[in-house]
Formats: sequence, structure tokens, C-alpha cells
Amino acid sequence: MKHEQDGVSIHIATGGVDFDPQGQVLVFLHGSGQNHLTWVLQSRFFAHRGYAVLAPDFPGHGLSGGTPLTSIEAHADWLIALLDQLGVGSATLVGHSQGVLVAIEAASRYAGRIDALALIAGALAIPVNDMLVETALAKPAKAARMMTSWGHGPAAHKFDNTLPGHAFLGFGRRVMEMNDQAALHADLVACNSYVRGKDAAASISQPTLCLLAAKDKMTPAKFGHKMAESIADATAVTFEDAGHFLPAEFPVEVNNALSGFLSR
Amino acid sequence: MSDDYKFDTLSLHAGHVPDAQHGSRAVPIHQTTSYVFRDTDHAAALYNMELGGHLYTRISNPTVAVLEQRVAALDGGVAATATASGMAALTTAVMTICSSGDHIVASSRMYGANINLLENTLPRFGITTSFVAPDDVDAIRDAIQPNTKIIFGEVIGNPGLDVMDVEAVAAVARDAHVPLMLDCTFNTPWLLKPVSLGANILIHSLTKWMGGHGVAIGGAVVDGGNFDWGKDDRFPTIAGPHYAMNEINFHEEFGPAAFTAKFRAEGMYNFGPSMSPTNAFHILQGIETLPLRMQRHMDNTAAMLTFLTEHDQVAWVKHPTLPTHPSHELVQRMLPRGAGSIIVFGLKGGRAAGQAFIEAVQLSSHLANVGDAKTLVIHPASTTHSHISAEAMREGGLSDDMIRLSVGLEDIADITADFELGMRAAARVAAQAAE
Repeated sequence: MKHEQDGVSIHIATGGVDFDPQGQVLVFLHGSGQNHLTWVLQSRFFAHRGYAVLAPDFPGHGLSGGTPLTSIEAHADWLIALLDQLGVGSATLVGHSQGVLVAIEAASRYAGRIDALALIAGALAIPVNDMLVETALAKPAKAARMMTSWGHGPAAHKFDNTLPGHAFLGFGRRVMEMNDQAALHADLVACNSYVRGKDAAASISQPTLCLLAAKDKMTPAKFGHKMAESIADATAVTFEDAGHFLPAEFPVEVNNALSGFLSR
Repeated sequence: MSDDYKFDTLSLHAGHVPDAQHGSRAVPIHQTTSYVFRDTDHAAALYNMELGGHLYTRISNPTVAVLEQRVAALDGGVAATATASGMAALTTAVMTICSSGDHIVASSRMYGANINLLENTLPRFGITTSFVAPDDVDAIRDAIQPNTKIIFGEVIGNPGLDVMDVEAVAAVARDAHVPLMLDCTFNTPWLLKPVSLGANILIHSLTKWMGGHGVAIGGAVVDGGNFDWGKDDRFPTIAGPHYAMNEINFHEEFGPAAFTAKFRAEGMYNFGPSMSPTNAFHILQGIETLPLRMQRHMDNTAAMLTFLTEHDQVAWVKHPTLPTHPSHELVQRMLPRGAGSIIVFGLKGGRAAGQAFIEAVQLSSHLANVGDAKTLVIHPASTTHSHISAEAMREGGLSDDMIRLSVGLEDIADITADFELGMRAAARVAAQAAE
């Protein structure tokens, strides 16, 4: 669906079901340089299982207009404003990568609005090496290729895919190309600059599920385990053969884990 | 450093990881029509495209999916869908994009069945085509109408061997916001990956060089994922509410893979052009050696070009790598590894000499296929293009005396020796005609 926020047209995937703010709201938050298409195999799945799904494209990403936000804190504020405007009292957040930072920041500062957290392939801090940041500024298409290559696990590099005929690497690159050219650089800078993760985690009391990928080169699983240890009511599950793009690489396993967590 | 596997490796591995249960190294043939659902919820999820997986082999199949993923990997696409034949691929791709009232701009110099589909069959369903020369970029631009929904051509034309400047035509297509669809049967991704030059949808007859052994008919459609179906309202069945699945919007739900999602959900579902799992297996065996075979095809083609251009009995020879070809300069830039293993030529003595040649050769096979590991010859005017009007033949640059040679992988000395048999027979006919 389309939603106008601060004069900007925002695209929100609702999984093919009309959004009901009175339902059990599940908000999917994409990562750096990504958009709602991170959640192709989650948004429809959960929308058709009774959840009120929102998978927004952050400004400057996917089918949304506007310019990219520049800090994790700004993303969290933007998210809460979105929930306000849609009439959502509280929601469960499902974040991937940078979306994890947004989720913990929002859960920390807006505790009453967040029911639970599912944190996928994330950590409390996501430092980005200078070379990638510089490449994202100067040659965003090259940076997208690098991230897509590093971000996928070994099975994805052999084009093993649960979606018949689909190719992870080609799809991943095109998804990133859909965004504003400045989006990836802005996202990586926002990740690099975020230092509140540890404090935010310490204040989170909501039930939390951490889904981690053993072959994750972007946010290695050991940092995900530290994140889980820092959150009072957190459980961690590690997928041995998965890379950073866990929701696409192992959708059935991710959906099963999320379903179990949501129906706890 | 990139973690991506290279072309030769992908030819062997892409799309398949040995299964956990049996560890079969080769791709198993899943010769089944259907798949047991875990429960009703699982079944509903598959039907509603909430999950990946297989529900009925008309829609998808695990063996066929390996082939699809391998072709998508080799061509650098976001997805591929395999079909029962190359013509099934083209027909279903057109039906996925076009509706009655839509228009196509297409090359006038293509495979006879491609021409037939566009010229004679699709108009019955309200889809019309303007044919233009594939090497005339301005003519392609001028032929675009407000209702044009596809620009279509062959990278290397069959059998005339005209070459399309993919980058230039892609720029025209991009400016007009019309997808560029290319038949890539003659180039294969080993010679050219047109998505990298801006083409949007690729059609393959996998029967030819990709399968390479003449044992299985098959086709594929590769989705480049580089066309914005939602940029305007010109593609409402892809980027608007669709009747299926609670008015699904493929563009919003699948982004760069919107075309493929619709192709499978509607095209495979309603038209049913599915490939058999066993054919997919045979074609996969062929693709494993595609890089090796293509190199040998190119080597033998170069040798046959020397043989033919130097032979006294040969009236003319056409191949894109020859300096006499009008696209020679383009070919050197766009197809540095070679321009395919089809050569067309005419013999002194015309049509009668050509027929004598074809009937005299003993190693080369006279049949209606190309891209086999074995050397093949045919006379297009009396076979593959016999349904095309004389006028269309002329417009397509085809002559009565043309022989189409598909250069195989045999020892080059045996191919040339066989051709000498044909040349001697042709010479006798030519001499008799002259008396």
C-alpha cells in the first residue's frame, strides 16, 4: 500500500492482505541498501496467517520516494511516526541487519510501543569497513555487487533456491539497484555511526528471538550471540549453512522459527 | 574479492546442491507429476505464492528448477523458467506481457517459426507486429508505437546470420520504456550475456547448443530483472492487480522478478508449456560441457570458414566473423569469442547444386536442427522456411541456393573430407547444367 509520511510517498508491503491496525501487527525492517523485497517469503506468509503485516521501504528505498534517513535514531523515530499515523498501538518488530539496529533502538526508546523483537543476522553494532563505505559513495553498483556476493552463503552461491528458477545473486543486485543511488552509502554511514546498541540492549525487556547465520560474513554470528546475551529475555538460534541474507536463503526455517516465537 | 563462481564452474554446479537424504552428486530426475503437501496450510501457502516449492510439475519441478537456476546463473538474470521448447518459451513470454491491442516491433530476419508466430498467429489474438531490419536501429525506433510492448529480435539471426547491436537497440528500448526481448539460441551465454548490455528478457531454445546433443527439446525464458514494469501504467497485468491470488501485484510483491512470477503463475499455470523432468536432466548434462563444446564449435567453425572461402565450388559464404559481413565491426566488439557455429553458403550451380551437395555428404547429417555436437546441413528454402512467403524470404535475406551448416565437434579433417564429397557432387550438377 501507499502511505504519505512527511510529504513523502512511502511503499509498504502488506503481504497481499489489506492492513488492519487492530490486528497483531508485525513490522519487517529491511537492512542496508535493501527494501521490502528482503521479505518476499515472509510478508505474504505471515499476512495470510492472521498477522497484520507492514514491510515498509524506508525513504529512498524500493518503491518509496524521498531521501534516505541518515541515522539509526532517525529510522526509529520515523518508524514510530509511521505506527502513529497508521493507528497502530503496538507491534512486534522483525529486523534484518541494519533493521536490527532500528528495532533495538525503537524498542529501547519506545518500549511501550514494541511487544517483541525478532532480530535476524544482526548485532549491537555494525561497523562497516572504509573501503565499502567509500565504494558505496563512488560506485554504488559495485558496492551492491560486493555486498550481494559477500552476503550470500555457500548454497546461494550455487544458486540453490526454494523459489524455483530464481537466482539469489542476480535478484539481490537488482533489488539494491531499485533504491536511490545515495541509499546504500547513507545506510552504511548510519550503521557505522550507531553507538547506542549496548545501552539499548540493556534496556530491552521485550521477548526477543535472535536468528543468526553461521556463514554470515557481513555481521558474523559471534556478534549476534553477544547481542542475544545482552538482552534480558533473548533466545538465539543459529542456522549453520546460511549467509547474511538468511530470510531469503532459508525462508522455511526462518518462518518456522518466527511462527513458533510469535505464538509462544 | 568476489565469492561468485565463474562461468565454467556454474555450468557444472549452478542450481544444485546434493540432497541431504541421499547425497546424489548428479541431479536426480524427479519424474513425478505431484508433491505431497505437509498439511492444508502448506498446500495453501504454495498455491498462494507465500513459499517457494513445488505443487505440480506443470508449474515447477525440482529437476527442471535446477536447469532454470543454472540458465539464470549463466545469463546473469534474476530468474529463468524452462519450457517444453524454445517456441513455447517465446509464445508464453509474449502472452505474459501482451494483451489484445498490443503491438510488437520485431526483426524481419528470424527463424521461420518466430516469424510465423508473430505474422500469422498472434494477429488472430489482437497482437500485431511491425517487422524491421534488425541492424537498422533507426527503423526499430521509428516502428515503436504507443501500444508497443516488446521489441524482439535474435542476437544472431537464423538462418541469415544478421547480428543485432544489442547495446544500441537496448538504448532505444530503454528510452521508449519497452522491454527488449532477444532470442539467444545462437549465441548462448558463453558467447554473449545480453542482460549485461541492457536486454531485458532472453529466449533460449535449449534444444540447440545449450543441450548440445540432439536428445531433448526444451526452451527457457531468462528474466534480466532490469525492466521497471511499474514505471507507468503500460503493463497493468504485471504491475497492477491481477485476477489471481487475491489481486496480487507481481511488481510490488516480487520486484525485479515480477515478470517471472507472472510467467509461472499465469503462463505455466494456464498455458501449461512445461518441460519434462527427463528432458531437463538431458539438457543439464549438456550444459555441464557447454564451455568446452562452444570453444570447439568456434575452432571448427573458423576452420570451416577457411575451407569454404577458399573452395572453388563455393559461390558465396556468410558468417558474422568474416570481413565481408556487414556487422563485422560490431561482431568483433560484441562477440569476441566468436559469432556462433552456423555458416550459410551457396554453391556454384544454385539450388540444384545445393541439393546434390546435401544428398552426397555422408558424415554430415541432413536434418532440421542446429547446435548439435554433430555436423548438420540443411536447405532452408525447402524445409525450415518453406512456410514463409517468397516475399518474406527475400526480405529476410534468404536465397534459394542457401545451405545452412551447423558445424559440429568432429575432427575437422573428417568434416572437410565429407564436404569434398558434397562439393564433387555439386560440381557434377553444375557442369551438367552448364552443358
